[in-house]
Amino acid sequence: MADIQHIVVIGGGTMGQGIAELTASKGFQTTLLEKSNELAQQAYHHIEVSLDKKLSKWGITPAEKKSTLSRLEVTIDREILRQADFVIESVYEDLETKKEVFDTCDQLCRPDVILASNTSTLSLTEIAAATRRPDKVIGLHFVHPVPKIPLVEVVRGLKTSQQTVDAVVNLLPQLELEGIEVYESPGFVTTRLIVLLINEALYTLMEGVASAEDIDRAMKIGYQFKAGPLEMADRFGLDSVLAAMERLFREFGDSKYRPAPLLKKMVRAGHLGVKTGEGFFRYDEDGDRIDQEEGRS
Amino acid sequence: MKILVINCGSSSIKYQLFDMEDESVLASGLVEKIGSDSAIIKHQVPDKDEKVVTGEILDHRAGLNRVLALLMSKEDGVIQSAEEVKAVGHRVVHGGEYFSGSVIITSEVRQAIRKTIDLAPLHNPPNLLGIDAAQNQLPHAVHVAVFDTAFHQTMPEYAYMYPLPRVLYYKHKIRRYGFHGTSHKYVSLRAADFLQRPLEELKIVSCHIGNGASITAIQNGKSVDTSMGMTPLEGLMMGTRCGDIDPAIVPYVIAKEELTLAEVKSMMNKHSGLLGVSGLSGDMREVTEAMFNGDTAAKLAIDMYVYRLKKMIGAYIAAMNGIDVLVFTAGVGENASLIRQRVCEGLTFFGIELDKEKNAERSKEERRISREDSKVEVLVIPTNEELMIARETKALVESF
Repeated sequence: MADIQHIVVIGGGTMGQGIAELTASKGFQTTLLEKSNELAQQAYHHIEVSLDKKLSKWGITPAEKKSTLSRLEVTIDREILRQADFVIESVYEDLETKKEVFDTCDQLCRPDVILASNTSTLSLTEIAAATRRPDKVIGLHFVHPVPKIPLVEVVRGLKTSQQTVDAVVNLLPQLELEGIEVYESPGFVTTRLIVLLINEALYTLMEGVASAEDIDRAMKIGYQFKAGPLEMADRFGLDSVLAAMERLFREFGDSKYRPAPLLKKMVRAGHLGVKTGEGFFRYDEDGDRIDQEEGRS
Repeated sequence: MKILVINCGSSSIKYQLFDMEDESVLASGLVEKIGSDSAIIKHQVPDKDEKVVTGEILDHRAGLNRVLALLMSKEDGVIQSAEEVKAVGHRVVHGGEYFSGSVIITSEVRQAIRKTIDLAPLHNPPNLLGIDAAQNQLPHAVHVAVFDTAFHQTMPEYAYMYPLPRVLYYKHKIRRYGFHGTSHKYVSLRAADFLQRPLEELKIVSCHIGNGASITAIQNGKSVDTSMGMTPLEGLMMGTRCGDIDPAIVPYVIAKEELTLAEVKSMMNKHSGLLGVSGLSGDMREVTEAMFNGDTAAKLAIDMYVYRLKKMIGAYIAAMNGIDVLVFTAGVGENASLIRQRVCEGLTFFGIELDKEKNAERSKEERRISREDSKVEVLVIPTNEELMIARETKALVESF
């Protein structure tokens, strides 16, 4: 396998942006591939905002911001895949969409290139089946917010080769990531445990056991969570949480994965969390809480 | 004897080739952006134009290979074959407690350098890459490691220990190591030579103030205390590093500003010091200029810088119960006459009397800047870490 210098990230949503920011900041030439110019520009803008935030928190210097951005490009031209040394897919969590993306990658990427998917609940083996290189398809499941959380789940599909796993594990130190190896299973470790916690927090809220603010405070103070489960849900996006729950429910067929009705209601109302400015709490454009003290209940 | 001195960063190689018959520099240069297809080599042969080459250099081995090719090339070459390089001196940042002097690199030495990676995660790994590359490309040569920390291994226990639970020292080797050792050693040797006095009789305070800054108390030619500690963050206020602060500030800021560990580290290393206080720059020249233009934040930054420097010098005079020589070196120390003047103005109590005119003269030479009647000699000595590494290397090769 060739030396990895150029990474293409497909999909510029919350996770795609984070992944692209991470790879560019760790020295990799990075291209973010999106469907439309508007989405591509939006993603670029969000990455800039994220870097500015880091700068204001002294996490990076102006020179580091500049050099990260100098390694980052956004495009809608899939031909860029021909130049990729490594691909990380992070499009919408839908099997057909992902299969299409992997089929395209398979056609355009050099045969030695590893294709990684950031799927959290879909079957990697099924995604891999859309390509002629299932041995080179692997899962890399990042945790939100990607540039701040140094954990990634390295997911083996049924046909993923040991060589591919080794290559990816070797790449992690360069990205300053800690990896855990997991076998294909809906939600792996992180998503499976965290969405269940969020779902249970929702039932707790629905049943009027405690206010949203107090539920979060309990977990923050009591168990040293950086953010409570409801704020976490807001930050992941309630639609993403719902999609994950539904997927787990379908895959395991166990009622413990039944999405809380309140979650469905909020998604239908368009209260998706940080990205719409309102979920269980309210947020400004930068994603900072604006109702820190009062909180809805 | 021709000796190559190399200093490897994560994506760079600094090199200098010496002819040790007369200690002249045959060629020097810098390879940057290793690991990319747009790497740059800047190669300089004295009295010739600098040569700049760009191209793909994917690792340190390839980089060193290109450097050797330049050293042997027809038009810019200074040697005929790689075999002429009899020894390679490697700068290694951290030698932990394993090394109190320079050593010929054996597999045990490499092992020990590797064991020290935890203490210098940014520096020791590229230093090891450089050693690998050079041993591969120059297998006939003797390879020597010269450590930044080695000179300070003579510090007494009461100077190098932190007043923390002692178990931390046993478990994690948490103690003060000090840095810039090669430079402090070099200037102390030069100072004794310049003054024609035996080093063993002198109490020297050497101020290495550049982008990073440290002060060392040198008695009988040995480091007895130095201002940098387990990492190069301790001690003086620097260009962008904070130096000594109340350690309780760290958890407090983390909580108040919701910072991660990486952010607070970056804050203290890259956003503090002259830059953090002035809000302008970490470069002494720029901050000084702003101060002269009436910028109050720049003035405060320089006042603090000078005050902290002066206090630390006073501490080291106390550590040795006296001082014979005060030495300034490195970027700021060699060039910023204003800083030297302001520091010395506050040290007259110890018999330090600066000659203002001599201090204001710009020169690249070793020089005395104290008055004839000054009890303490004040010297400016341009540092030369590469030459010191070459000398240490030569000494080891000859005793080999």
